[in-house]
Amino acid sequence: MIYDPYKILGVAPDATADDIKKAYRALSRKYHPDANINNPNKDQAEERFKEIQVAYDRIMKDRENGNYTGSSAYGGNTYGQGSYGAGGFGAGGFGAGGYGQGTGGQNYGPFGSGNTDSSSSSYQNPEDMRRLRAAANYINAGNYREAMTVLDSIGERGAIWYYYAAVANQGLGNNIGALNAARQAVALDPGNPSYRMLLQRMEGGGIWYENMGSGYGRAAQGAGSVCTTLCWMTLLCNCCCRPY
Amino acid sequence: MNKGVMMFGYITINKPELKIKDFEKYHSYYCGLCQALKKKHGVMGQATLTYDMTFLVVLLSGLYEPKEKMESHRCVAHPTKKHNMRMNDISEYAADMNILLAYHNLMDDWVDDKHLGKLSLAKLMEKDYKRLKVRYPRQAQAVEKYMEDLKACEEKKETDIDLAAGLTGRMLGEIFVYQEDEWAQNVRNLGFYLGKFIYLCDAFEDREKDRESGSYNPFLLQTEEISAREILNLMMAECAREFERLPVLMNADILRNILYAGVWVKFERAQGETKKDA
Repeated sequence: MIYDPYKILGVAPDATADDIKKAYRALSRKYHPDANINNPNKDQAEERFKEIQVAYDRIMKDRENGNYTGSSAYGGNTYGQGSYGAGGFGAGGFGAGGYGQGTGGQNYGPFGSGNTDSSSSSYQNPEDMRRLRAAANYINAGNYREAMTVLDSIGERGAIWYYYAAVANQGLGNNIGALNAARQAVALDPGNPSYRMLLQRMEGGGIWYENMGSGYGRAAQGAGSVCTTLCWMTLLCNCCCRPY
Repeated sequence: MNKGVMMFGYITINKPELKIKDFEKYHSYYCGLCQALKKKHGVMGQATLTYDMTFLVVLLSGLYEPKEKMESHRCVAHPTKKHNMRMNDISEYAADMNILLAYHNLMDDWVDDKHLGKLSLAKLMEKDYKRLKVRYPRQAQAVEKYMEDLKACEEKKETDIDLAAGLTGRMLGEIFVYQEDEWAQNVRNLGFYLGKFIYLCDAFEDREKDRESGSYNPFLLQTEEISAREILNLMMAECAREFERLPVLMNADILRNILYAGVWVKFERAQGETKKDA
C-alpha cells in the first residue's frame, strides 16, 4: 500500500494550490467531526478526516520544500525527512514550534547524527560536546526552549553552536536572532553545506515574499536585500518554500 | 514608544491594486464590524473600530466561511449613502476583541499620561470589559500579560529585538485564534509574525521621537547595523507563509493584497516623508 496524499484528496499530483485547497475544503465539510455529530459511523468519519488533514499538510509541506515535482512519487509511508543531502534537514517549514510552549512540530531532521558534526570535532572540551549533543536532542524533540538554555550554557561558540542556535531560535519564533546566528555559522565555516542551506532557506523566504509582493503592487525597493541575493534565485527554484 | 496595545492601523489594503468588487467586499466587512461594535458596545464601541480587526474578520471569514448576512445601512460617518454591511459570527468576535484591546489602550494612556478623558472612557467600557474577560479568558489573559511584560521589557531596556517584538506577536497570535481547532496553530503563528511586524514598524517609525524623549526603543539599543527593511520582510515572509498553508479560498485576493503589499503602505509613506533609507 503506497501512501499517496494526492489520492486521498482526489486531486492530480500537478494540481494547483487552489485546487488542493478546494478539494480539502469539500472533503472536510463532509467528514469534519462537527458535521458528523449525529452520524452513527462518526468514528469512521473522524478517521477519514484525520487522513485528509494529514494528506493536506503533507502536500503543503512538500511543496514548500520544493520537493514538488508534479509527479506523485510516494514510496511507502515514511514520514521522512526531505532529502537535503548533507544536512539531513527535516521536512517542514520553519518553526511551527508553538513558541516555547513545547508543542513544536518536528521541523528539522536528525541533528548531530554525524552528518553536521564535521566541525564539532573542534570542540575539545568533552563537557561542551555533551551539551551540544543534548541541545541537538532537544531540537529533534521540538523542545527549542530547552535547547536554547543548554546552548547558552556552552562557553565555546564555534560554527556548529551558531547553527544550532539558528535552528532553536527559528523554532522559538526569534527569527531575527535565527538569521544572525545562521550568518555567523556560515561566516565561521563557509564550506559547510548544511549551514549554507539553512541560511539560504532563511534569506530565500524574504526573496520569495518580495517577489509575491510585486504581483500585488508593492512598490519595488531596490535598496532591499534583493540585489545582493539575486544569485540565489536559481537555487530558490529547487530549495525553497514556494507555495505555487 | 509605549503605545500600549497595538492600534496602529498598519494592516491595511493596497487600494489601487484591489479589484473594485474586492474593495467593496472589504469595505462591507469593515462596515459590518462597525455595526457589530455599535450593537454590542454602543457608540463608544463604534469609536474603537480598527483596520487591524477588519483584517481579522476577512481572514477568519475566509478560513471558516461562516453564514453571512448582508444589510444596507446609512451610517453616521457617511449619512448620504447607503452602505452594504457584511455580518457574521466572526464580526461579533472581532468586535469583542476590539473592545478588549481598546480598553487596555485607554487604561494604559491614563496610567502613562494621567489623561483624565481616557480614564473616563475606560470607565465607560469597564462593564463590557469585565464581561468579555469572563467570556474570553484566554485572550483577556494574553492581553493582560502582554501589558505587564511590555512594561518589564521597557524598564529593563531589553536589547533583544526578537524578545521585545515577540510580546506583541504573542498577544496578537492569541487574539487571532478564534477557536482551538486544527488551524489554531497556523493562525496563531500568522498573528505572531504580524504582531512582530507591527511592533517593529512602529518602533522604527518612532526612533527619532524616542531618541529625543529618551523613551525605550529597541532600534536605539542595537550595537550593530540593522536593516529595518530586511527584518520587516523577514516577519512578513513568515506571516505570508503561514497564510499560504491555510486552506483559504474565499477572500484570498483581498488577504494577499493586504499581506504582500497593503502592510507596507504606511511604512513606505513614512519612509518617503523622512527621505531616509531604511
